[in-house]
Amino acid sequence: MSKLDKNKVLVAMSGGVDSSVAISKLKEQGYETIGITLKLWENTNPTTGKKENSLCNSTEAINAAKMICDRLGVHHYTINHIDSFKTHVVDNFINEYMGGKTPNPCVKCNSYVKWGNLIEQANKFGAYYIATGHYARISRKNKESVIQIAKDKSKDQSYMLWHINKELIDRTLFPIGEFTKDEIREYAKEQNLETSDTPDSQDLCFVMDGDYRNFLNEYMPEKMKNIKGGNIKDESGKIVGNHTGFTDYTIGQRKGLKLSFPEPRYVKKINPITNTVTIAKKESIFSNRCIAKEINWMISKPNIPLRAYTKIRYNSHGGSSLIEKTKGEYRISFDEPQLAITPGQSIVFYSGDILIGGGIIKGLKKE
Amino acid sequence: MKRIYCDNAASTPLDKDILKKMNDISERTIGNPSSIHKFGQESKAILERARLSVCNSLGCNRSELIFTSCGTESNNIALLGILKPGDHFITSTYEHPAILKVANILGKKGIEVSYVRPHHNGKISTIDIEKEIKPHTKLISIMFVNNEIGTINPINEISEISHNEDIIFHTDAVQCVGKKRINLRKTKIDLLSLSAHKFYGPKGVGALFIRDGVDLRPTYIGGSQENNLSPGTENIIGIYGLSLALEMSLDLMEQRNKLTTKNESLFINSLKELNLNFNINGEDRLPGILNLTFMDILSTDLVMALDIDGYAISGGSACSSGITAAPNTLIEIGLNEDLAKKTVRISFGKDITENNIINLAKSISIIIRNTNE
Repeated sequence: MSKLDKNKVLVAMSGGVDSSVAISKLKEQGYETIGITLKLWENTNPTTGKKENSLCNSTEAINAAKMICDRLGVHHYTINHIDSFKTHVVDNFINEYMGGKTPNPCVKCNSYVKWGNLIEQANKFGAYYIATGHYARISRKNKESVIQIAKDKSKDQSYMLWHINKELIDRTLFPIGEFTKDEIREYAKEQNLETSDTPDSQDLCFVMDGDYRNFLNEYMPEKMKNIKGGNIKDESGKIVGNHTGFTDYTIGQRKGLKLSFPEPRYVKKINPITNTVTIAKKESIFSNRCIAKEINWMISKPNIPLRAYTKIRYNSHGGSSLIEKTKGEYRISFDEPQLAITPGQSIVFYSGDILIGGGIIKGLKKE
Repeated sequence: MKRIYCDNAASTPLDKDILKKMNDISERTIGNPSSIHKFGQESKAILERARLSVCNSLGCNRSELIFTSCGTESNNIALLGILKPGDHFITSTYEHPAILKVANILGKKGIEVSYVRPHHNGKISTIDIEKEIKPHTKLISIMFVNNEIGTINPINEISEISHNEDIIFHTDAVQCVGKKRINLRKTKIDLLSLSAHKFYGPKGVGALFIRDGVDLRPTYIGGSQENNLSPGTENIIGIYGLSLALEMSLDLMEQRNKLTTKNESLFINSLKELNLNFNINGEDRLPGILNLTFMDILSTDLVMALDIDGYAISGGSACSSGITAAPNTLIEIGLNEDLAKKTVRISFGKDITENNIINLAKSISIIIRNTNE
C-alpha cells in the first residue's frame, strides 16, 4: 500500500446532485479528488431475462458522474461490486422478509459494501480520505472522530450509518452535511452542475418500482410460491380476516388490510411459522421495551447502562431511553412508549446530536 | 500533467491535418448528395471521390464499397444481409461482439452456427475451419486481426477455401485496415468491414467492401443511398476524412509499423530490465497491439493507477454500464480467469516517444511495487 495522502479524497459518486456537490466542494477546498461509482446492482427483467439498469448507478447515473468529474477536471472510475451487494444487501434483505422482519438495506450497504470497498480503493490510490454525499457531519473532538447529525435535520441520514466500522470514520468526509438540500441544489445550479435537477434518490435502489413485494416475486418466484395466504387474527386469537402472504405486511401497517372496523387496526405481529398476521388497535401497538442485536458502537467507550436518545426507524422522532446489557442481551427501555417497534429495523442511539451506536431490533420485551 | 495515450486499438486521435482538410471542405458539402442542384452535385462529387480513393487504397471497384457509420454497422449489414433460416454459418469464438452477438441471435432464428476456437497462440487455424464446413454452409466470418491480442489470422487461406467451396467469406478487418496492406483484387475475400477511427480518421464512419456479385438484403430500410444498404444522408465530411486517413496510413505504413515495432521492443526490454513478471499473449502479432499479463497486479488496479499517473491503457472491454469485464478473447486463447483479470492491452500510436515508453515501464514497475508492499 502506498503512503496515504491526507490531501487526497476518493469521492463516492451516485450520479445525483448530493455527491456531485460533495466532490465539487472538496475540489474547491483544495483537495485532490478522484470520483468513483460503485456498480452495485443490475435488475434482471423477469420476462426477457435481460440485465437492466437499476435505479442506483444506472448507466445514466454513471454518465452523469463522468460529466461532473470532467467538468471539475478530475478522474472518474466505475468499479464493480455487484457480488458483494448481492451477498450483503439483497440476500440479507430477502432473508429478513422471509423471517417476517422489515430490514433497512441501506444500513448493510453502507457498512459492508460502501465503506469497506471505498477504503480499500482509497488505499490503492494512496488517498487517506473517502467522501460521500450523505447528509451527516463528522465531529473531530478529543482525538476521536464521530458522526454528528446533519445540519438539515429533515435530511439527516445518520440513522443509516450506525453499522460502519468506527475506525473508518476518521478517514471519512461528509462535505454536504453543513447544508440544507435547497442550498445544495442552489449551489449545483450556480456551478452549472449537470446533475442539479436530478430527483432525490430512493431508499431501495434495487427495487425498480419502489414496491419490495414485486421485487421478491420477480427475484425469487419459486420461493414466493410457497408464501401462501393465511389468517389475520386479533389479539385474542380470533380469526378476523385473510392475508395474502405474510411478506406483504409490515409491523405498524394500517393501509391495505382490507378489514372493516369502526376504529383503524394496525399490524402488530407477523409470525411466519404459523403464517399468521396479528392486528390490534393503535394503543396496543405502542411498547416501551425491545431487545437489540448486532450492536455496533460509534464511540470508543460506551458506559453501559447508558442513557441515549433512540430512534427506531428512519422517519421516527425517537425518544429518550436507557440501554442495558443483561445476560449478553441489549435491552432498550423507552421513557415514553414507541409506536410499532419493528423487528429487523435499525435502532439507533444518539447522545445530543452525536451518533453513538446502533443495532437491529430483535424483538419486543414484555414488562 | 501531460497525458500519454496508449490505447490506440480502442480509438486513434484524429490526425490534425485531416481535421483541417475536413474543416476546409465543409463549405462545399452544403447540399444533399442526392439533390439535383449544384450544391448537391458538389457534395456528391466529394463523396464519390472519397469512394474512389478508398477503393484505390483497397484494390476494389467503386461498385464494391459502401460507407457506413462504423465497423459494427458494416458487420451487421454483412451477416444479416446474407444469412437466412436454414443456412449454416461459421465464425470464431473470439470475434468482436458486433459479430458474436449477431451470431447468437441468428442462432436462435433458425440459422445453424458453428464456432471455431482460436489456438493458444491466438490464431484461428484453417484446418479447424475446413472441418466445420457443411453442404449448406453459406457464410464464414473470421476477424483479420484480433482486437485484444493483435494476432493476424490466415485470412487469404481461409478466403481461398471458402471460395473453392462456394461459401461467402467475410472478415472484420477493423483492427487491420490502415496497418496492413490489403489488395482485395488478389484475395478471395467477399466482404470486409473497416472503421476510420482505428487509423487516425474520424469517429462515426466506416465502410463495407462487398464483392461484385455478392447480394445483400438490406438491414435498414430508407432511401437508396449506399446501394440501399446504409440508407440515410451520407456523412460526407466523415467519409472524406476516412478516405484521407486511409491514404495517409498507406503512404506512411511501413514507416509507422517499423517505429511501432521498435517502440514495442523498447517497452518489453524496459519491463524486463525492471524485473517485472509478465507474459506476452499471442504470436505473429500486428504491430500496435500488445497484450500483457502482469502476474502481480489486477488489470483494473493497474489501469486506474496508470491513468492517475497520466498513461491511458486498456484493461478489458468496457460495458455500457461502465464496468469492465475480462475480455472473452483471453479465456478463448486459454488464459484462466485469474490471469485474464491481470491482463492489459497497450497499443502505442504514431506520436509516442521513447521517453514516454521508458517512463510508462517505470510507472508500471512503481505501481506494482506499491500495490504489493
